[in-house]
Amino acid sequence: MLKQPRKNAIPSIPALITFFLLSSCNPFSPTGDLKTFRVNLGTEPPSLDWSLATDHASFNVIANLMVGLTEFDKNLKPAAVIAKSWDILEGGRRIIFHLRDDVLWSDGKKVQAQDFEYSWKRLLNPKTASEYAYILFDILNAEEYNQGKIDSPELVGVKASDDRTLEVHLKHPVSYFLSITTFEVTYPQRQDVIEKYGSKWTEPGNIVTNGPFLLSSWKHENEIQLTANPDFFLGKPAIDKVEMFMINEKTTALAMYEQGRIDFIDNQSIPIFEKPRMAKLPGFKAVPQLRGYYYGFVTDRRPFDDVRVRKAFSMAIDRSVFPKILHGGERPATSWIPPSMQAQNPKIGLNYNPPEARRLLREAGYPDGKGFPQVTLAYNTLEDHKTVAEAVQGMWKRNLGVLVRLENQEWKVYLKKLKTDPPHIYRSGWGADYPDPDNFMKLFTSLSGNNDTRWKNPRYDQLLESAAREFDEKRRIRLYNEAQRILCEIDVPIMPLFTTTEHTVLNPRFTGLEFNSMARLFLREVRPASR
Amino acid sequence: MNAAKTVWNGVREEPTALWSLIFIMAVCLGGFLAPLLSPYGPGGLDEQRILQAPGSSHWMGTDALGRDLLTRVLYGARVSMTVGIGTALIALLIGTVYGLISGYAGGNLDHLLMRIVDVCYGLPDLLIFILLSLLFGRNIAGVLVALGLVTWVRFARITRGQVLQAKEFVYVEGARAIGASHARIILRHILPNILAPVLVTLTFSVPGAILAESTLSFIGLGINDPYSDWGTSWGTLAQDGWRAMRTYPHIILFPALAIFLTILASNFLGNGLRDILDPRGGSQEK
Repeated sequence: MLKQPRKNAIPSIPALITFFLLSSCNPFSPTGDLKTFRVNLGTEPPSLDWSLATDHASFNVIANLMVGLTEFDKNLKPAAVIAKSWDILEGGRRIIFHLRDDVLWSDGKKVQAQDFEYSWKRLLNPKTASEYAYILFDILNAEEYNQGKIDSPELVGVKASDDRTLEVHLKHPVSYFLSITTFEVTYPQRQDVIEKYGSKWTEPGNIVTNGPFLLSSWKHENEIQLTANPDFFLGKPAIDKVEMFMINEKTTALAMYEQGRIDFIDNQSIPIFEKPRMAKLPGFKAVPQLRGYYYGFVTDRRPFDDVRVRKAFSMAIDRSVFPKILHGGERPATSWIPPSMQAQNPKIGLNYNPPEARRLLREAGYPDGKGFPQVTLAYNTLEDHKTVAEAVQGMWKRNLGVLVRLENQEWKVYLKKLKTDPPHIYRSGWGADYPDPDNFMKLFTSLSGNNDTRWKNPRYDQLLESAAREFDEKRRIRLYNEAQRILCEIDVPIMPLFTTTEHTVLNPRFTGLEFNSMARLFLREVRPASR
Repeated sequence: MNAAKTVWNGVREEPTALWSLIFIMAVCLGGFLAPLLSPYGPGGLDEQRILQAPGSSHWMGTDALGRDLLTRVLYGARVSMTVGIGTALIALLIGTVYGLISGYAGGNLDHLLMRIVDVCYGLPDLLIFILLSLLFGRNIAGVLVALGLVTWVRFARITRGQVLQAKEFVYVEGARAIGASHARIILRHILPNILAPVLVTLTFSVPGAILAESTLSFIGLGINDPYSDWGTSWGTLAQDGWRAMRTYPHIILFPALAIFLTILASNFLGNGLRDILDPRGGSQEK
């Protein structure tokens, strides 16, 4: 009998705190404004130039500033936006996009087919040095132009035949091209603006956009503000203003949500330990993602130039550990194409096998890890990545006798370091840009600017080329199976670890936020919940 | 040796000082004997024991990777105590020599040296810690040097003040009159007479250094190497734990408690020593 009141007394303290926190976000408080929607980006976006952006934070801003030819509907099928219709001719080798007449840039000019032609050629221009140029390599002469084999952009198979018509010539028919045009890097750009402001064209005041929101301020490393575009051709959004914070520390971001100072949080803002508690909040959703988490080996230097060492490291990891330590519904993976995507095949990959891993390491000249050089595993600074890295470090130590050094940097610095001074092993993730295995697999081709492993395999490249133009599902899957075997079993430049699930909580005062399996934060439809 | 006896007798008479001394010795011993005391290792991963609450097999519970927290705290004592005592000794060495020279030489040299100390005193400690620890790297030697270079100024001031007094004593004048060398005067006649206040300062700078190291670790600049013999410092453990404060409070509670109790004990010990060594008025200053 005595125990009862005491038991109640303990939870009442958090309850009391919550009460005070909640009372601060009632509609009368200035923070409870229903016209402003506040989110956490988690980090400073490295670039808002959609030819140069490569990461999640940047695309989440761009996706609200811009629209392109097509966009995904709720079933992840491409639907018309600026393109009102398209003709697919010559068995898929030629696509003609017919553009709407009523889409305006934020300075009042109309969006024209020439803006697309300029943007795509800029993406491909070797001088732009875009890491995403390869995404358009299905276009005639695009790869040749990007690789400097031809100088004239005139020969690239994209042309505005008039203001409203964009003609695209492909090297070969590809099944997913209309999905590519949903991707931000293919959005139109204004030649006059970019030439006038140079690298400063993405700053507020300079940037010209066509989407539901306008970039009104960008305090670097701190906050981005968007305002609703009153002239957006699909109608002005219901919220007037969006505030995007760059809070790296998840605990801080979560506290801000609970104080009513942020309206939406996702994995970026939920600490590992709080995930079970979040699942009980109103507005909670768990959305499985088309997003793979992997460790890449930099294969052009010792000791990871030896495939046996790479295999040993991959086989020494028990991937079933990750959901237990991350608490976020992670699905362990030994192969690269994620679940619910075509050609996903969980049977491919190296399974946990410590004796075999030790044998391979011995064969490579490091019995029980003896004589193994000092190697570094790097990750970008984040609690989850640290937890994964320490767990993996522990398993390598236990199973291989190798002690790997851990190192971490802030996101922007980290991305730069991967290009200039890579560690031996690096952490990375890949979220789908379009829901086709092509997007996942092409990441590791010889010409992919996002392939930081420095691994090249002509057979792999060739398989992906064939798979891209293959319309027969069975044959296509067979090609991807072989490519995945090269990637995850034979050459092993990467070791996939798991695919992620996004945990999101939307303040119940709002509705209409659609968070899809590609983790894009589309705020166009957000509106106050009707009471 | 008489002095040591005085100290020991004094400590025995002051229960807080005595218990503090015992506690600090226990922490040092615990850190030293950690591999013998604990059946678990400080690093690694134990997927069967993730986030267990304190219980009979894990007295302080386990952390997010299933590592035994008591073991980590014991290993952490190695870093914290080494940094605490090591920094104090480095600071003692630099500061005392500096203060002796300054006070004994007097005149313009004294003036110059003390202005340098003033400048060093005015610099914000934490900022300098951060800069120096970036310079020297995230290892135990780096942290020791960084903290030592900041804390020596207190020793320099106190030593100089004491030397200025001692210099005027009759026996120093006598030594000088019979032609003793400067070195002999400093080492034989001045130094033994100023030891007491320096020793007290030493005791007080230990907790300061432990706290500084914990702060550095907490903001992510400290020592984190669960596989070396040094383990992970208490500050880093607290940093790991604070995110779990609402869901698994034991992860931050125990490292924080270790920091708190060790600092408290060092302060009590310092107070006790001051009372014993300076019977004239120390207790009124408290």
